[in-house]
Formats: sequence, C-alpha cells, structure tokens
Amino acid sequence: MNGWILAAAVVLGGGVGATVWGVATGPLRRRVVAQNLCTAFACPALLLLSQGYDRPSYVDLALVLALLGPVGTLVFARLLADELAADPPSAWGLTYAAAAVGAVVVPALCVATGPSRAMAKLLVVGALLIGGNLLASRALSGAFPEVRRG
Amino acid sequence: MNARTTLLASAELLGWWAALAVLWLVFISTVDTLELAVGAGVACLGALAARAARRAVTGR
Repeated sequence: MNGWILAAAVVLGGGVGATVWGVATGPLRRRVVAQNLCTAFACPALLLLSQGYDRPSYVDLALVLALLGPVGTLVFARLLADELAADPPSAWGLTYAAAAVGAVVVPALCVATGPSRAMAKLLVVGALLIGGNLLASRALSGAFPEVRRG
Repeated sequence: MNARTTLLASAELLGWWAALAVLWLVFISTVDTLELAVGAGVACLGALAARAARRAVTGR
C-alpha cells in the first residue's frame, strides 16, 4: 500500500461508489448525470493505480475510458433528448468537481513520471478526460438543441 | 480538381497524417522500427478517414 493506491482507493470508493449509487437510484435526470460522472472518476483512479502498481498498461485503460465515456454520454443525451428536454439536467458543481479530480491527478502523475513520452501520453489522457467530461455535461444540459432534430 | 485544390487536399492529408503519427508515437510503449512502420501506415489510413469525415460533416 502506497500513497498512489490509497488515493486510487479514495477516488474509487468516494467517486465511483457515489456515482454507482446515483445511477442505481433516483429519477432519470440524476441517473444520466451520474453515469456521465462515473467514467470521469474511474479514469483518474486507473491512472493512480497505474502509478501505484507500476503497470503502464493501465494508462491504456484510462485512455479508452476517457475517450469512450463522453461518447457514451452523448449517445444517452441523443436517445433521451425527448425525456430530458422539459427539465434538462445540469450539475455543474459535480462536473467541475470531477474535472478538478482529473486536474489534480494528472499533473501529480506528470511530476512523478518526469518529462518523457509517458508524460505526453498522460497529458493527452488528461485533456481527453476533462474536455470530454465538460462537453458531455454541456450536451446533457441541453446546450446543443439542434441535435434533437432529425 | 485543379492544382490549387490538389495542393490543399495534400496539405490537409499531410497535416492529419503528422498529427496521427505523433499521437501513435506518444501512445506506444517501446519505440522500434516495426512500430514506426505500422504507425506511419495506420496514420495514412487515419488521415484519409479523417479528411473524408471532415468533408462529410462540413458538406464540402
């Protein structure tokens, strides 16, 4: 057990645990927000585990999650557009909290890694994670109304 | 397709290819000749697909 694994346990338990609870209970608008935030917490947790166990291949999992998580949310936003149109879910506090977790974890790992190709990969993962999260949250809150047509 | 549009298309493909090849270079774990060759080839396919997708979205 080292600090990285402890941090990963906190992010997994606090973040992913809370989002799984949010996905499993409550109204639809809470569930879509929770499933969107689920990958935003799981991705930093995988990055921390990668550092804690010294297994660089875990970063690939985080990369795939950072890419596909927001894409999955966009699919939900498109398919549930009618249900969410009357009362679009906006949880900007939680969204920025998830983005802040990523924004703390990625620079910390970059410092631990040192300047190298691995650090560039971490930065790409971090940009995808935070950018995708913000974009998916905007889509859920109804910022792209033209999507509803067609 | 005249000389100007050909030049623009080649420049766009080259831009996509360079960006995708750099991305491949960042993502691989060990850099050797085979990885670089595969990366260059896949970046070619990716550049063609990216330009086709961009044209499909913008309708030009």
